[in-house]
Amino acid sequence: METIHTDVLVIGGGLAGLRAGLAARKRGQQVIILSLVPPKRSHSAAAQGGMQASLGNAARGGGDNEDVHFEDTVRGSDWGNDQEVARMFVHTAPKAVRELAAWGVPWNRVQQGPHAVVMDGQRVTLTESAAAHGLITARDFGGTKKWRTCYVSDGTGHAMLYAVSDQTIAAGIPVHERMEAVALIHDGGRCYGAIVRNLIDGRLLAYVARATCIATGGFGRIYQSTTNAVINEGIGAAIALETGVVPLGNMEAVQFHPTAIFPAGILVTEGCRGDGGLLRDVDGHRFMPDYEPEKKELASRDVVSRRMEAHIRSGKGVASRYGPHLWLDITLLGAAHIEHKLREVKEICHYFLGIDPARQWIPVRPAQHYSMGGIRTDAHGQAYGLRGLFACGEAACWDLHGFNRLGGNSVAETVVAGMIVGEAIADFCASPDGDMQVSTALVRETWAKASAEFSAIADNRSSEDANQLLRRMQTLMSEQVGIVRQGDQLAAAVAELEQLIQRCRQVGLRTTRAGANPELTTAWRLQRMLKLAQCVAYGALQRTESRGAHFREDYPRRNDAEWLKRTLATWPDGEPTRPRLDYEALDVARMELPPGWRGYGARDAIEHPATALRQAEIEAIRASLGNADRHAVQQALMPYRHLLPPHLRGLNARIGEER
Amino acid sequence: MIPLLRRRPTAGQPRRLTLSILRCNPADPASVPHLQDYELDEADGMTLFIALNDIRAHQDGSLQFDFVCRAGICGSCAMLINGRPGLACRTLTRDLGDHITLAPLPYFELIGDLSVNTGKWMRGTSERLQTWIHSTTPVDLDALEARMEPAEAEAIYELDRCIECGCCIAGCGTAQMREGFVGAVGLNKIARFRLDPRDQRSDADFYELIGDDDGVFGCMSLLGCHDLCPKQLPLQTQIAFLRRKMAALGLR
Amino acid sequence: MTPLNPSPERHDLLAASTAETTPLAVASVASRAKPGKSRWPARLDLLQSLSGLLLALFLMAHMAFVSSILISHDAFYTVARFFEGAYFLGKPYPILVSGVVAGVLALFVGHAWLALRKFPAGFRQYRAFVAHKNRLRHGDTSMWWLQVWTGFALFFMATIHLYQMLMNPSLIGPYESADRVWTGNLWPLYLLLLFAAELHASIGLYRLALKWGWFDASDPNRSRRRLRWVKHGLSAFFITLGLVTLGAYIDLGRAHAEHAGERYVPASQSAPAASGRH
Ligand SMILES: Cc1cc2nc3c(=O)[nH]c(=O)nc-3n(C[C@H](O)[C@H](O)[C@H](O)COP(=O)(O)OP(=O)(O)OC[C@H]3O[C@@H](n4cnc5c(N)ncnc54)[C@H](O)[C@@H]3O)c2cc1C
Ligand code: HEM
Ligand code: HEM
Ligand code: SF4
Ligand code: F3S
Ligand code: FES
Repeated sequence: METIHTDVLVIGGGLAGLRAGLAARKRGQQVIILSLVPPKRSHSAAAQGGMQASLGNAARGGGDNEDVHFEDTVRGSDWGNDQEVARMFVHTAPKAVRELAAWGVPWNRVQQGPHAVVMDGQRVTLTESAAAHGLITARDFGGTKKWRTCYVSDGTGHAMLYAVSDQTIAAGIPVHERMEAVALIHDGGRCYGAIVRNLIDGRLLAYVARATCIATGGFGRIYQSTTNAVINEGIGAAIALETGVVPLGNMEAVQFHPTAIFPAGILVTEGCRGDGGLLRDVDGHRFMPDYEPEKKELASRDVVSRRMEAHIRSGKGVASRYGPHLWLDITLLGAAHIEHKLREVKEICHYFLGIDPARQWIPVRPAQHYSMGGIRTDAHGQAYGLRGLFACGEAACWDLHGFNRLGGNSVAETVVAGMIVGEAIADFCASPDGDMQVSTALVRETWAKASAEFSAIADNRSSEDANQLLRRMQTLMSEQVGIVRQGDQLAAAVAELEQLIQRCRQVGLRTTRAGANPELTTAWRLQRMLKLAQCVAYGALQRTESRGAHFREDYPRRNDAEWLKRTLATWPDGEPTRPRLDYEALDVARMELPPGWRGYGARDAIEHPATALRQAEIEAIRASLGNADRHAVQQALMPYRHLLPPHLRGLNARIGEER
Repeated sequence: MIPLLRRRPTAGQPRRLTLSILRCNPADPASVPHLQDYELDEADGMTLFIALNDIRAHQDGSLQFDFVCRAGICGSCAMLINGRPGLACRTLTRDLGDHITLAPLPYFELIGDLSVNTGKWMRGTSERLQTWIHSTTPVDLDALEARMEPAEAEAIYELDRCIECGCCIAGCGTAQMREGFVGAVGLNKIARFRLDPRDQRSDADFYELIGDDDGVFGCMSLLGCHDLCPKQLPLQTQIAFLRRKMAALGLR
Repeated sequence: MTPLNPSPERHDLLAASTAETTPLAVASVASRAKPGKSRWPARLDLLQSLSGLLLALFLMAHMAFVSSILISHDAFYTVARFFEGAYFLGKPYPILVSGVVAGVLALFVGHAWLALRKFPAGFRQYRAFVAHKNRLRHGDTSMWWLQVWTGFALFFMATIHLYQMLMNPSLIGPYESADRVWTGNLWPLYLLLLFAAELHASIGLYRLALKWGWFDASDPNRSRRRLRWVKHGLSAFFITLGLVTLGAYIDLGRAHAEHAGERYVPASQSAPAASGRH
């Protein structure tokens, strides 16, 4: 058994992992990053739309600041998120954009003077101020009050990932590519690193580290139709779950994206609608205004997705061999705009559909897009349950997003969380907590156990076929644990997943191959993916309300009285086919923004008893502070700055706003 | 009027495709490179991503290949499609004949079957060419960002779009002959950082990195890179531009 | 071994030296010693292009002179004497032609030497390129291969021609040249030389334009397509012109075969009866 020692082991080479590794490295820690693929191929590269940060440079972003961003984020989350974390996030996001700018991200810039945009199907002329000329501009992205989404044409994630990755290369941080973490080394109280499988030669190695950070991204591949990359199988979250002590938070909170091209599932950016694209049905009718007269196509993703599914169910979908779909019409934006600002969309249409979006409508249907749930951590990214284990990015439930994430908030989260959690990791390593006494027996045993799991599959010749089970799981999840959920269907899904979990223990291989046999990899991962799927389905079954992206047809109202709490799923060794669910209450009495109406959708939430009290308290505080500046008011309502690393506490400069 | 999807006239039976795949497993000393044929029925809108996964799911679970984004943006799936480098995930089978030959990209270290280690080479190239912003100005995270002309930012992005797929290297005869050659991907990166006002390096600094026959002067303008780059980067003009700048230093 | 990234030792180096406040990426800007890499690769590349360009321009001019035979014997005669300086020095000095030839020869050898650096070095490289070219079926790549081979051929053929011109500079004239072509059995060489030289030069010029980014205009891809047409056009024009010219020399040579060795005397300097075409 080969063993590699390091201070910090970062599992995941996407934006979150790289940025966290970089932060720890700059504090003098020795860092190794693991990744399934070369880091620049991580799915962060797919983010086309942009990154939210309240710079307030663009004309339509005027007056934007942390407070507005905070409110949008909390509303978007349907009050399911952690408001302190949201504060930390909105405060740090402008710093993150500016840091990235200095690292070479070619953010699109403000061009002073008038320019034409299409808003709400209308051509409108906006005039950008001279004072903002050359500063980072922003576009509109579903669910925000201001134009706040910084972007790089439509390759935002790509440009960000390359800039951050280049910084890690500059910092000399080794990235061990084509390596998959397959088990955490832990003793039930502290984490000591991970057992890692080399995806080239199939060997298992032990990485022993003082701090371990999981940043493995989302788990969309448990669904059949998803915008996620094929490597987004959630193994990072799954190995945390398999420790039996680390809980996954809010796994039932799964976001669907309204516009994935049909049937391939490749995403076309929200920017299409943000820039003025329209949704049409089989009759060519623009149907969103019927449902959402105010926000129309720009309502939050969960709302748009649900409306689209409902519209399809009402028989207005366009029939095709693969099932029904709707149309996305961006022809009105004009060829020049598409060529310039939406080139990636144009390419996708050309290469994957063979159509020209400047002249033809794009077939779309909602698909799984983002997992709000993940490894539950505190505000510093420290995972619940195991000391020395951290998580950030989409793999984590830091709980910025609650039950629905805003477009543009997640790539922002990756870098912001990377900056904050990376510091926390360095603090941890520098403190006595970071000291470690690991027993070599423990390392060896963990290794042997992982090794035995692979051998058990590799040596099995049973006819149970991993691919078949995988497809079944994916179909099941898409059909019964999808956008619109219902108690009986969920119960049936949970039951069938239990069977699949039993069956997957029997899977055997049909091929042998020296090195890392892909069939073995699939079979091994399937066992973990099923557990994640069960966490989602079971959590969804239990949550008898609708909140954010979790929509129960049988419980259509948000129920703050009973469900203003976070689901925590653990999978102790004794549980064969289901996780154990616990709940963590959200404290209304400490919220800066107590639960209310989101500003769109139905206005029928069942109120939490403490809401009115807190509301009154807030009004009293505001009244007592009179004309104090917004930072002082905020500080009085919900202090958060102490949670940030000192160098990130400064106020953000804006044009026209004194520092 | 509803524009319809462009569809090939439904001629009843789907085509039967034969995929000849060059297989080899370096992890197995006994393995020798050989072509193996797989047959499958074509489906509407089938890409090589769909076809290969179909084969792996139903015919041969041991077949190795790399896909990540399956959307033409991550650069993982470059391979030789009928002898030419290209991204498999965005190649529609309808644009190919009944018989499709697939082979791994040449030049890069072979991992197995269609999978090659482009990542390792790209990281090495990045280290060698120091492809990151070099600046001695400290970043003030609280202050307004430095201004930049909108057109300049877009010009930088134009070159930043490279996805490190390796098609330009696999399509370059010079690279096939001379291992140390940085290739179009490397030269494009230098052009990108040279263009960026935030990078404080001078031409003399860049000359240190590419001013030799493994760098810009090694390029023989074969332009396979330019013609095969799936992101249609302006490689020809960028290499020419760099050549002028670097040659100018030779005149001093 | 595990697929570690290429430089584990670098990692250790940095581990020792990282300070919290310095942005890591920065350290190297100022620290690099200024006088570093040799400037010769740049110069050699320039020289390669320059020599190629001069040769190609020379070749065009050369074709024009040689084809003056198509106008009339006297025209060619005049051109030949012109290069011997007959019109400004009062009488022809063939040594001048030798001088020009020597210059061209030097350029030629220089160019060949510079270009040889680009040839496949060894059989492994040769095989790698051929396999690549056959697989890729890509115009510009195949064209380079043609350039290598024509260049290689030129090296031998043009050397013979140049040697002759160097040694017998005075034997340039309608009869003299025609006799060399026909009676001297040089026409097969010229035929091959013509194709080799014209293909090589026009591909070379096309490559030169792309290599240095000339005529890029607003749409480089379109200007490249245009350049390719110009290239084809140049080849076609000069090969046709060359073939016709060569035909004229062969004609004249066959007609003049019995008098081979007799020198041409232009009409103005001889009895009217002896002038004109045979
Ligand atoms: C199509 C698409 C478009 C999007 N657009 C936007 C947008 O416009 N704006 C926005 O804010 N967000 C967007 N998102 C969401 C956003 O891109 C992601 O949430 C975010 O990039 C996730 O980053 P990450 O670093 O957490 O994970 P990833 O970038 O997914 O990285 C995960 C890393 O973990 C590694 N890994 C995984 N498992 C293991 C393991 N077991 N062992 C070792 N390594 C492992 C992988 O190799 C990879 O390097 C989009 C998402 C998709 C799918
Ligand atoms: C009449 C004689 C010749 C002419 C007009 C000529 C012209 C040219 C031109 C214009 C170029 C392009 C230059 C460049 O790419 O920088 C070139 C390139 C080349 N020449 Fe010649 N050349 C001649 C003779 C030769 C000879 C004798 C050889 C070989 C022994 C040769 C080999 C090459 C090669 C290999 C290249 C390609 C170089 C590269 O790709 O970088 N040439 N030639
Ligand atoms: C200064 C040097 C040169 C001189 C003075 C010269 C002169 C001549 C002359 C006088 C002829 C007519 C035939 C003859 O007299 O034999 C001729 C023909 C020819 N020369 Fe040259 N030459 C020179 C260099 C070259 C070079 C470098 C090349 C090509 C690489 C070349 C290629 C040819 C060809 C192809 C022909 C045949 C013409 C035809 O087909 O019409 N010459 N040259
Ligand atoms: S330059 Fe083009 S072909 Fe080369 S690696 Fe980048 S994207 Fe691929
Ligand atoms: S193919 Fe190669 S030789 Fe130069 S122009 Fe492109 S790098
Ligand atoms: S899989 Fe990402 S480019 Fe093909």
